[in-house]
Amino acid sequence: MNTLTIVWITFPFLVGFLIYLLPKLDRFLALGVTLVSIAYALWQLVEPSSLTLSLLDSFGVTLTIDALSGYFILTNALVTAAVLLYCWHSNKTAYFYTQAIILHGSVNAVFVCADFISLYVALEVIGIAAFLLISYPRTDRSIWVALRYLFISNTAMLFYLVGAVLVYQANHSFAFTGLLNAPTEAIALIFLGLLTKGGVFVSGLWLPMTHSESESPVSALLSGVVVKTGVFPLVRCALLMEELVPVVQLFGVGAALLGVTFGAFEKDTKRTLALSTVSQMGWILVAPAVGGLYALAHGLVKATAFLIAGNLPSRRFTELHQKPMPTMLWIVLVMASLSISGFPLFAGFGAKMLTLAQLDSWQEIAMNVAAIGTAVLYAKFIFLPHERQADSSKLQPNFWMALFLLVGALIVANVWFVETYTVRNIIKAIGIIGAGWLVHHLLAKRSGFRLPRPLEQFEHLIGGMSLVLILLFWMVVWV
Amino acid sequence: MKIIAMDVMSTGVIAYYVLIASRDGFLTPIVSNAENAAYADPVPQAVILTAIVIGFSIQALMLVSVMKLARDNPTLESSEIEKNNTP
Repeated sequence: MNTLTIVWITFPFLVGFLIYLLPKLDRFLALGVTLVSIAYALWQLVEPSSLTLSLLDSFGVTLTIDALSGYFILTNALVTAAVLLYCWHSNKTAYFYTQAIILHGSVNAVFVCADFISLYVALEVIGIAAFLLISYPRTDRSIWVALRYLFISNTAMLFYLVGAVLVYQANHSFAFTGLLNAPTEAIALIFLGLLTKGGVFVSGLWLPMTHSESESPVSALLSGVVVKTGVFPLVRCALLMEELVPVVQLFGVGAALLGVTFGAFEKDTKRTLALSTVSQMGWILVAPAVGGLYALAHGLVKATAFLIAGNLPSRRFTELHQKPMPTMLWIVLVMASLSISGFPLFAGFGAKMLTLAQLDSWQEIAMNVAAIGTAVLYAKFIFLPHERQADSSKLQPNFWMALFLLVGALIVANVWFVETYTVRNIIKAIGIIGAGWLVHHLLAKRSGFRLPRPLEQFEHLIGGMSLVLILLFWMVVWV
Repeated sequence: MKIIAMDVMSTGVIAYYVLIASRDGFLTPIVSNAENAAYADPVPQAVILTAIVIGFSIQALMLVSVMKLARDNPTLESSEIEKNNTP
């Protein structure tokens, strides 16, 4: 078991470099890695065993694998596999596949580590690999977006490093559990780093532009799994230490509401999806105990939606109302949208109901509002026109295979949610979606209102980071 | 300019790690004949070595992309670059 885990963690990195040596086999090798990860994650979920591997001596460098990491790893593996299938016939070079697989491996590493230093290293590798993937087209805009991403994530990680050394100073160990004995500043600094990396609340406003301006397969990877690497350690810390739960939940509620408010006024498909990611990260944080399931449901939907958005005739909703899309594409898009709005039969329903069941009263009200907001967002996608004759010849079979994998997984994932199928929950879910669609038809569709986005400017993002740091500090003191 | 500022910031973090390592003493932590010497804590030093390497490689990547951007924006004002590249 131990050996197997270690082999599985190093495998993607070895294969990543091997791809460069054997460029002819790039796609096959890359797909093989994701299949291994799927198998490993499923095995972890079928036979839940909590495994802890510690490095020699007592500095707390540990890996922990349990069911929570299992869900995250499964999300990662499925999304990467779908993206690879999607890119099968595009002329991407071996370089792209190398980066994708190294990204996959480092994301896996985040999902198993349980101390601040291995987390730091894994997050930085993710930052570099994501930078290289975003700048892959090498246009001026993609380079600027990638540079902005790398700059912000690296600044956040510098704050995080200071926090990590304070934890070490207090405990002589880097383990997550030491966070409680550490001074308040340490918690605030570490949380700032993770919140920024995970695109949560105000510090996550770098995310909409980065995710919407990348190529769609890269957006799918970033939105589907990479942002979860910031959220996962927060969930893990909240599960280990009860005292931190209120802070994490408050940020979760804030992010969920902020994301849908911005998203509801957005006129661009990919930006809407990116803003919805901000709000969904809030959903994962709000109920740490079931965060893994929610992350799985969200990752699958978001990857599907981004892959489809890349194949729509246009990116603007107004133009999409004039140019119908192929019906087949529309059906898949509706399935994904229904799942994330929480319609029964899909994994999104169970995940949403489990999350709502975990909350206190005031949080439940806020999250129900956020759920209606999500339904409003995705109503924009559902009520787009479509026609049978539309030209669908440029969509290749591998594109459908990728979507089939994701949507199939969405339906199969219901096995974990059987107990949520009660009459009350089903009525509630349909009520939420109905309310959302009503709001969409009455208000959102007509308004030409555009929210300003000064907060997304580069300098304001960095400034916002320090403000959130101060806010976090007082929140931790208050808790 | 901003990249240099970030580099200064990361140097600060490195210096802080070294400071924390030296709180117990300044001697190099190598096994020797000296008895009960006040030696520096080796762990933060080992950890920050990783961070230095990572910081350096990120610095290099950023400078390369700035060189690419400089072809069209010779003044390198970030607000101008941002205005040209925001949809």
